[in-house]
Amino acid sequence: MTKSMQFSAKFGKFMFYFGNIIIGIIFVSPLIWMISASLKPEAEIFANMDSLTTFLPVQASLNNYAEVFSRLNLPQVFKNTLLYIALILIFDLLVNSMCGYALAKFEFRGKGAILNLVVALMVLPMEAIMLPLYIEMSQLGWVNTLAALVVPFIAKCFSIYMFRQFFYDIPDDLIEAAAIDGCSPAGTFFKIVVPISKTVYATVFILDFVAHWNDFMWPFLVMTGEDKRTIQLAVQSFFGTNPVHYSAIMAALVVSAIPMIIMFIFMQKYYVEGIASSGIKG
Amino acid sequence: MAKMKAKKLTGRKRDERIAAYFFVAPAVILLIAFLVVPMIYTVYFSGFKYQIMRPDAMKFIGIENYIELFQDKNFWQALKNTVYFTVIVVPVQCALALGLALLVSKKFRGVAVFRTMYFSPQLTSMVVISVLWSVLYNANPNTGLFNSILTSLGLDPISFLNDEHTAMNSIIFMSAWQGAGYQMMIFLAGLQGIPRDQYEAASVDGATKFKQFLYITLPGLKGTIKYVIMITMIQAMKLFTQPYIMTQGGPKNSTKTLVYYIYSEGFQRGNFGYACSIAAVFFVIVVCMSMAMKKITTSTD
Amino acid sequence: MKKAISMAMAVTVALSTAATTVPVMADDPVELTIWSPTDTEAIEAWWEEKIAEWNEANPDIQVSREAIDRSDSYAYDNKIATAVTSNDLPDIFYVDGPQVSYYAANGITVPLDDYFSEEDLSDFVDSAVAQNTYDGSLYAIGATESSVAFYYNKDYLKECGVDVDDLDSRTVDNPITWSEFAEIAEKCTTDDYVGAHIIMDHGEGLPYALEPMYLSAGKDYISEDGTTADGYVNSEEAVETTAYLADMIAKGWANVEPITDEFLNGACATMLGGSWEIATLTANADFDWGVTYYPVNDDTKEAVSPCGDWAAAISKDCENVDAAGQFLQWLMNTENVATYAAAIAKPATRVSAYDEDVMADYQEGNLALIKAQLENTAVPRPRTPSYAVFSSAYAEAMTNIFSDAASTGEVDNDYIQSELDTVSDTFTDDYETYYAE
Repeated sequence: MTKSMQFSAKFGKFMFYFGNIIIGIIFVSPLIWMISASLKPEAEIFANMDSLTTFLPVQASLNNYAEVFSRLNLPQVFKNTLLYIALILIFDLLVNSMCGYALAKFEFRGKGAILNLVVALMVLPMEAIMLPLYIEMSQLGWVNTLAALVVPFIAKCFSIYMFRQFFYDIPDDLIEAAAIDGCSPAGTFFKIVVPISKTVYATVFILDFVAHWNDFMWPFLVMTGEDKRTIQLAVQSFFGTNPVHYSAIMAALVVSAIPMIIMFIFMQKYYVEGIASSGIKG
Repeated sequence: MAKMKAKKLTGRKRDERIAAYFFVAPAVILLIAFLVVPMIYTVYFSGFKYQIMRPDAMKFIGIENYIELFQDKNFWQALKNTVYFTVIVVPVQCALALGLALLVSKKFRGVAVFRTMYFSPQLTSMVVISVLWSVLYNANPNTGLFNSILTSLGLDPISFLNDEHTAMNSIIFMSAWQGAGYQMMIFLAGLQGIPRDQYEAASVDGATKFKQFLYITLPGLKGTIKYVIMITMIQAMKLFTQPYIMTQGGPKNSTKTLVYYIYSEGFQRGNFGYACSIAAVFFVIVVCMSMAMKKITTSTD
Repeated sequence: MKKAISMAMAVTVALSTAATTVPVMADDPVELTIWSPTDTEAIEAWWEEKIAEWNEANPDIQVSREAIDRSDSYAYDNKIATAVTSNDLPDIFYVDGPQVSYYAANGITVPLDDYFSEEDLSDFVDSAVAQNTYDGSLYAIGATESSVAFYYNKDYLKECGVDVDDLDSRTVDNPITWSEFAEIAEKCTTDDYVGAHIIMDHGEGLPYALEPMYLSAGKDYISEDGTTADGYVNSEEAVETTAYLADMIAKGWANVEPITDEFLNGACATMLGGSWEIATLTANADFDWGVTYYPVNDDTKEAVSPCGDWAAAISKDCENVDAAGQFLQWLMNTENVATYAAAIAKPATRVSAYDEDVMADYQEGNLALIKAQLENTAVPRPRTPSYAVFSSAYAEAMTNIFSDAASTGEVDNDYIQSELDTVSDTFTDDYETYYAE
């Protein structure tokens, strides 16, 4: 390797990082603004909006966090939220991946109809079925119970379809081989397919975790009472005052984002492993 | 020997069929109970004059809501806005997402940090993002960062959100930026599936990065790209939060989308039966669109 | 497919019949549940203390409160709407003033006349009683009120040559006029400041804060009986009033998209702001500021001010209305009203509450001015079941009118007329569909 090639490789690497950092900052700026605002006194938050200094807390203090911690029973809120999301996700990953696998790899009557149903139902906006779904919860006696938060949201068309698309690409040889070794269809799925599909499971996990973590309207409608508060209800409880105090809201939002960020970084592991074990599709 | 194998296979076919029903049953039952049943209710309510606070005074009026709907210029405007948003945002957001995914698809020092940064708009509350962008977009250069930059460059300030010609485009720009991280994750998962040795062979043959992208990455991502386009399209058709918080559908209805219209008619104005008829028409339109998309995505992959 | 649907239906029905109701024992205490929006720590503490106090004194009527974490008032209304559909309403719930008629007309709430006599009500400011009355009956009762007044940055106004002493000396009988308001706004508009802040928000804040302008010009949004908008919100007077406001936007004296805390952060010289701003400004402003009465129309000189706040109502699902009524009588006694109003930093509805020590701040200064407005010039928003429809249509129209004015720099009366006609049509459509006889 000549010196100029070494230089150009280094320069390329520098440019690569430089570009990533610039783009990264653009993407992370609202998060920075939110964190910065959470450290400012109320009157400062919307001051200097005409300059980049709005992204920096000048006189930082933790007062807003003190207010959030004193007003909210955070351990209870996190417990409530993590419990319901964990329940949804366990069943979500199981039920939807099984359905997606059957749609990708099994031959059976009604397959086309189910696939059409899954695609058609993807388009239903929550806003359009909110009230009938609530009526159903009420008839089932589920209002104000965990069941109303969890059961309706286990089956997800987006997840089924995503699993189907990814399982579709798994070579049939692999499945045939397992079958010839005497594996049942279910055995093949759980022992062979699931272990090599960590990336898609991680993807569905991340996307659904984030969606439920940010959900406000449904928990708001079906759950009443401070002991049942989920994280978004807790955050929204700061919007009830007149005038609205953005300082406390920003601090509450930062607190509410932390578990998601931790989850996301943790789930990264499976993407990296996915790289190491790539080649299964070829 | 050959006979035995055939027998084993038919046995397997039968096992597979039984397994298939066992595999799809939980999801299908749940989908029917909690999506199909409410949807049927919605269609049912669309035949009624129904004030949301007064379920006891519901009155059957046949297709009157639909007749009113097709003469409602707000509905056509909302449909137009929704389609416009979708047509523009889907290619922009998907291309952006693919670009981001390519930037962070390989293992390098700090890759997790950059992925987290690109995904972070998804981790930040939509309310905060909308509030922040409303202020960034503010028409007054003294209070809006973008206009402050424009005027310092000697340009005229733009009323981003307060002009019916620019409001939707401003929301499109923000939405593509905010949503790209979501599709990036799906592209990343898809990129894992392209065998490494293909790139190695290509680089031995002296193919440039661009050619590798064109002849290996893009074909390898075909299935993923179709899937991403489809879900981005469906999510775009459901646009609601951004106009709800940033523009309340205005100015001059330029950012009123179908889902926003469903929500404002049904919940803010209590005109629930009518809102259900908008929802029903919305289903039909988007189902037709996504079935057409599905035809394309499942026929060739 | 059909089979699957009917199967799911069967499952739904089977599960729902499994959920049986528990019979109530005869000698159990009456249990009452209250819903009200989550508020500041001081208010949350107030509720806890008061409910404990009541429950101890009344073992036969046990009360509990659920704080509702609304994100905006629409979300709160959604929760009420869904609860109505499934008969899950609490016994007592809080409702925003202008929505009282909506709930009453739809039979969601019951009259409170048996629990609040005319004599009891004489201690409440007229505007609060009026706002909560529909079709001759009282449907809600609240402890607090609100108002809007004219705030000004004294330091900056002096720089611009405005006679601040004159503003300071105005009385409830001698408020500033529209033309004086416009003159100040014009004088104070510079590269760094806009002269005025007239858009509270793009929702309920518009009809709430601007209604006195219309009333002062001679026509309210809706007829007195709450049935007609045509000839009111789209009247000649209303068009002129709207044109006056749009002119401020067109000339750049007021921002078309004011950001939060615009006045507090020294980006605008004056504002039409809520009574709650007094507390915010006292705590945070780093400049000298003053507040005076809501501006009046030059010709009529008719002084009007906004009012209205959340109030408690008894729901149709309440099984023991008497117990709920008794509880509300106690909840709205002078002491409770005074301590609640002090905790939430809003003016009280009860005149006698102002004599309590906790309300001493209202005897003089800025808060006395708010009290004076409430007692003398406050007019509630239209009492009509279609208020929510009117309010959102009006807010939409005003946003259109203002953004048109901002982009063209001119006021187009024909456009204003057509937008206000749309508001009238939207109102009429809803009223005729659901409430007209």
